[in-house]
Amino acid sequence: MAALQEKKTCGQRMEEFQRYCWNPDTGQMLGRTLSRWVWISLYYVAFYVVMTGLFALCLYVLMQTVDPYTPDYQDQLRSPGVTLRPDVYGEKGLEIVYNVSDNRTWADLTQTLHAFLAGYSPAAQEDSINCTSEQYFFQESFRAPNHTKFSCKFTADMLQNCSGLADPNFGFEEGKPCFIIKMNRIVKFLPSNGSAPRVDCAFLDQPRELGQPLQVEYYPPNGTFSLHYFPYYGKKAQPHYSNPLVAAKLLNIPRNAEVAIVCKVMAEHVTFNNPHDPYEGKVEFKLKIEK
Amino acid sequence: DDHKLSHRELEEKYGTDIIMGLSSTRAAELLARDGPNSLTPPKQTPEIVKFLKQMVGGFSILLWVGAFLCWIAYGIQYSSDKSASLNNVYLGCVLGLVVILTGIFAYYQEAKSTNIMSSFNKMIPQQALVIRDSEKKTIPSEQLVVGDIVEVKGGDQIPADIRVLSSQGCRVDNSSLTGESEPQPRSSEFTHENPLETKNICFYSTTCLEASTSPVGTVTGMVINTGDRTIIGHIASLASGVGNEKTPIAIEIEHFVHIVAGVAVSIGILFFIIAVSLKYKVLDSIIFLIGIIVANVPEGLLATVTVTLSLTAKRMAKKNCLVKNLEAVETLGSTSIICSDKTGTLTQNRMTVAHLWFDNQIFVADTSEDHSNQVFDQSSRTWASLSKIITLCNRAEFKPGQENVPIMKKAVIGDASETALLKFSEVILGDVMEIRKRNRKVAEIPFNSTNKFQLSIHETDDPHGKRFLMVMKGAPERILEKCSTIMINGEEHPLDKSTAKTFHTAYMELGGLGERVLGFCHLYLPADEFPETYSFDIDAMNFPTSNLCFVGLLSMIDPPRSTVPDAVTKCRSAGIKVIMVTGDHPITAKAIAKSVGIISANSETVEDIAHRLNIAVEQVNKRDAKAAVVTGMELKDMSSEQLDEILANYQEIVFARTSPQQKLIIVEGCQRQDAVVAVTGDGVNDSPALKKADIGIAMGIAGSDAAKNAADMVLLDDNFASIVTGVEEGRLIFDNLKKTIAYTLTKNIAELCPFLIYIIVGLPLPIGTITILFIDLGTDIIPSIALAYEKAESDIMNRKPRHKNKDRLVNQPLAVYSYLHIGLMQALGAFLVYFTVYAQEGFLPRTLINLRVEWEKDYVNDLEDSYGQEWTRYQREYLEWTGYTAFFVGILVQQIADLIIRKTRRNSIFQQGLFRNKVIWVGITSQILIGLILSYGLGSVTALSFTTLRAQYWFVAVPHAILIWVYDEVRKLFIRLYPGSWWDKNMYY
Repeated sequence: MAALQEKKTCGQRMEEFQRYCWNPDTGQMLGRTLSRWVWISLYYVAFYVVMTGLFALCLYVLMQTVDPYTPDYQDQLRSPGVTLRPDVYGEKGLEIVYNVSDNRTWADLTQTLHAFLAGYSPAAQEDSINCTSEQYFFQESFRAPNHTKFSCKFTADMLQNCSGLADPNFGFEEGKPCFIIKMNRIVKFLPSNGSAPRVDCAFLDQPRELGQPLQVEYYPPNGTFSLHYFPYYGKKAQPHYSNPLVAAKLLNIPRNAEVAIVCKVMAEHVTFNNPHDPYEGKVEFKLKIEK
Repeated sequence: DDHKLSHRELEEKYGTDIIMGLSSTRAAELLARDGPNSLTPPKQTPEIVKFLKQMVGGFSILLWVGAFLCWIAYGIQYSSDKSASLNNVYLGCVLGLVVILTGIFAYYQEAKSTNIMSSFNKMIPQQALVIRDSEKKTIPSEQLVVGDIVEVKGGDQIPADIRVLSSQGCRVDNSSLTGESEPQPRSSEFTHENPLETKNICFYSTTCLEASTSPVGTVTGMVINTGDRTIIGHIASLASGVGNEKTPIAIEIEHFVHIVAGVAVSIGILFFIIAVSLKYKVLDSIIFLIGIIVANVPEGLLATVTVTLSLTAKRMAKKNCLVKNLEAVETLGSTSIICSDKTGTLTQNRMTVAHLWFDNQIFVADTSEDHSNQVFDQSSRTWASLSKIITLCNRAEFKPGQENVPIMKKAVIGDASETALLKFSEVILGDVMEIRKRNRKVAEIPFNSTNKFQLSIHETDDPHGKRFLMVMKGAPERILEKCSTIMINGEEHPLDKSTAKTFHTAYMELGGLGERVLGFCHLYLPADEFPETYSFDIDAMNFPTSNLCFVGLLSMIDPPRSTVPDAVTKCRSAGIKVIMVTGDHPITAKAIAKSVGIISANSETVEDIAHRLNIAVEQVNKRDAKAAVVTGMELKDMSSEQLDEILANYQEIVFARTSPQQKLIIVEGCQRQDAVVAVTGDGVNDSPALKKADIGIAMGIAGSDAAKNAADMVLLDDNFASIVTGVEEGRLIFDNLKKTIAYTLTKNIAELCPFLIYIIVGLPLPIGTITILFIDLGTDIIPSIALAYEKAESDIMNRKPRHKNKDRLVNQPLAVYSYLHIGLMQALGAFLVYFTVYAQEGFLPRTLINLRVEWEKDYVNDLEDSYGQEWTRYQREYLEWTGYTAFFVGILVQQIADLIIRKTRRNSIFQQGLFRNKVIWVGITSQILIGLILSYGLGSVTALSFTTLRAQYWFVAVPHAILIWVYDEVRKLFIRLYPGSWWDKNMYY
């Protein structure tokens, strides 16, 4: 196969390539004459315009079929996730370390809490209504202004000692820090069958040397999320909705020892035993208070 | 120079004794010194090298790069963060595993096809009768050494190069060495300076012929060369010197790999740069690069090509073409010149009676394979006499014990023409042996080259008179000399000038057909002069041998195989030039060439024109002649330019009287014409030409082992027509490989776009690297193999062979159409499924844009969707996997449409028939099944990142699939409507 094995020199190859780029005999550049290039480009422009149009049409149809208030499926959102503030992540999940005597180590933490609670100031909650009922707040029709539904107020002061109003240091200074626990929003999710969901914090594995269980003060009292915050009707229906919060003030954290704490949301429809998802129905964190 | 030495000198030279032979100890010493008497098999590539080649060839390099990038990425991650996830390590391992597995697979396929050959190569070990320690012993011929005295009987192979010491009627068939199938006598005399020509040397691997009567043909000789030092050994080593060239398909695949690798690397690097300039971390950019490489490389394709080729090889083996080298399957399809042997390939390799002349008339005999249809007039009384002579004046006999074998297949003891006559008369007259028994032979003069006739005297079974009948056959002119009368319609007429003239015309006519003509005459000896008791003496010739009665002529030829003319016509319409290369006489060669159509009925050679116009050969305008018959002598004096001119200018060429060495020259000449050359051969000395050819075809029955070793393909039935079916298969596979590649390349864009969009628009990753591997090596494998079963769209034997430098397997329109048209449509369809899944779960398309960074943060566990719902990382990840599955299903559904459109390149699917290729449906079923298993069966195995998908998402891409089909039908319609148009040029691949 002598003919195929012909070794071309580099110069020949370059020459061939140059000729491919611009062939003066036929007026071809890159294998096509200018007019051919125009034709082929026109074809592609037309083709891609049509294809893009079709795709846009498909997306438009898709958007028309999607309900603007409620997602069609909530396959992944059977049970809400739970998050913690302040949220500082170490190598493996939440890790909060600070030194009681060094206020620089916790200034960031309290700052995070202040920033987070800014959304719960009376001014921010102005558009929501006061709710007192301890029942689910079902709203079938859009009775709120602008064709929306009412949202219940949750203001920072409901967190009392952990509101940052009385104690701007959230107890960090005295070694009894406040942590704020938030449950994720899920549209039309009902956490329980009548009793309010409650936060329960405990040592993850009870340290032997402590001997006594974790002592927690919950705000609001009992650590419950009032039922009138549920169900959530989605961003479009409840533009002013704020998640209810629970603050947990940890009273007996040993000094200079890392402890693992888990805060679970106790409710019939909230599960916290998904092996894959560490944030479903609970939040775990490590805490080390140095002195 | 051993042929010039006397016996004594020989004994001295080799330290042996002609009577006593070597001593066993001396033989053992020599065996240790020279090695066994066998040809060293051609050097094999070590298995490990073959294996490693599979590991680094093709796309493997690219995938290795991907794997190493994975590990490097992990290394970087690990150095900054000890708890880095092992995902990249796993991905690297998976990529490595893919390379190794596909490598092992390709290696296994190769090995399997080589194994077919090696089983074929196994021979029964040859035995040799040798005199050692003054005893006759039978030893394996491998143990022969120089100086051994061997005895060879008729029918045996010569075990080494031997110098003949004594011989009894020995004739050898040197055809494997010289191509000349005429038996040559061997004796102990030194007759020629040239050792190849002298009569006292027999060559290794030639055969000593069997004779019917004594002398039975035995030869005693001294071994003068063994193993690789024999003449055959020299030629065989010459063959291994001819390098192995790449097959056309290997070049095509390399070209294709270059294109795909080029696209992969350039897009990879381009987006690496884009990613870096978009302020992505280098580590992330590397991971994008890996994704782009994996998406671009069709991992399963090379394995598919191997399977496709081996499927065709299997199909061809069923049609008697055994392919040694898988890639040769396609080479045969691109063949543009076939240099074919005559004997055995184009012809039946047996002398057969073709014509008869008696009663001043030429009759045609049936020469087909079974002789069943003899239509000539058998009522004439001349025929009765002629048939008697044919039957009686013949020494050939059937071997015993073949009662149930059809006549034409019975084995015969006797030379070729006597065999032909025996079978001819057996077919027409019935039991020849019985007739001979009734007409007992009383005297006989066998044929020899001096008197050129054969004579025998028989008693007759004629009830009217007890006369002796003398029958004679021989060279027609000799026979005629001895005759004074001629039989016409059973009456004897005096032989005058005019009858002699008709005889000569008939003789010339039959001779001009390239046939071997024999004359037959007889004489009833008068009962009074030769009574029943008369004793005939051969030496004294006490009987008349002149004034006989001439009865008729009979001509024989090695007739063409009945399937060959058709096959040659097919070759011609397929644009393949068939050149005959034979050692035979030019007239015979030309006659056969004409009868099989290699020289067509209306074309003439220069000589024919000269003859017709009655002018000198030099005056003929060479342009007028379409055909040429070139002899070996002429070829010897030609420069390569002159040969090129002949090969280029004549459509129909016959090379006659060529030596096998000249075959190599002819092959090289054809290759200079830029042709892909197929060469058939059987002899050892054909092996260089077989090796040199683009595809060497050895004969399975007549072929020597050396030829089979050198060849790429073996014809199990030695039939030229099998080559043509091979060509058809080869062309079909080329077309179907195009379809397979187009099918496979299409989805690359659909796999690639997600990465590009991910980098630029910042969507959550639409498809994972592992998922891509599941498409490339899972769902797409069986469908792409199924395309190999597609029938041809039109008569592929009616178009020219592909030009190896122009008609590429993967050409620009194929790549452009697959990537930029169908691929793009597929990508859009798959994205639609992806967006649908995300939108219905809460993330509307608008929200997804630039969501990537937040989405992938492990510590964001309350990411808000379009409805205000908050998602943990794991919930998002699970949704991402659902997205992978959705995108996967989108590609899968559209690949079904892709598979259906790839069935044809020009015809409408409805012309081709949607259900004719059942395997396609097997492919589609497998595709869907694998998809279902991955989604619903393995959906819980998180490592595979498949999830259980809602059933309706399988149908989201269906409109796009239909769109693909419609678009392609429109493309094909315009191609058919406007051939040669702008559309045809740009859209036909």
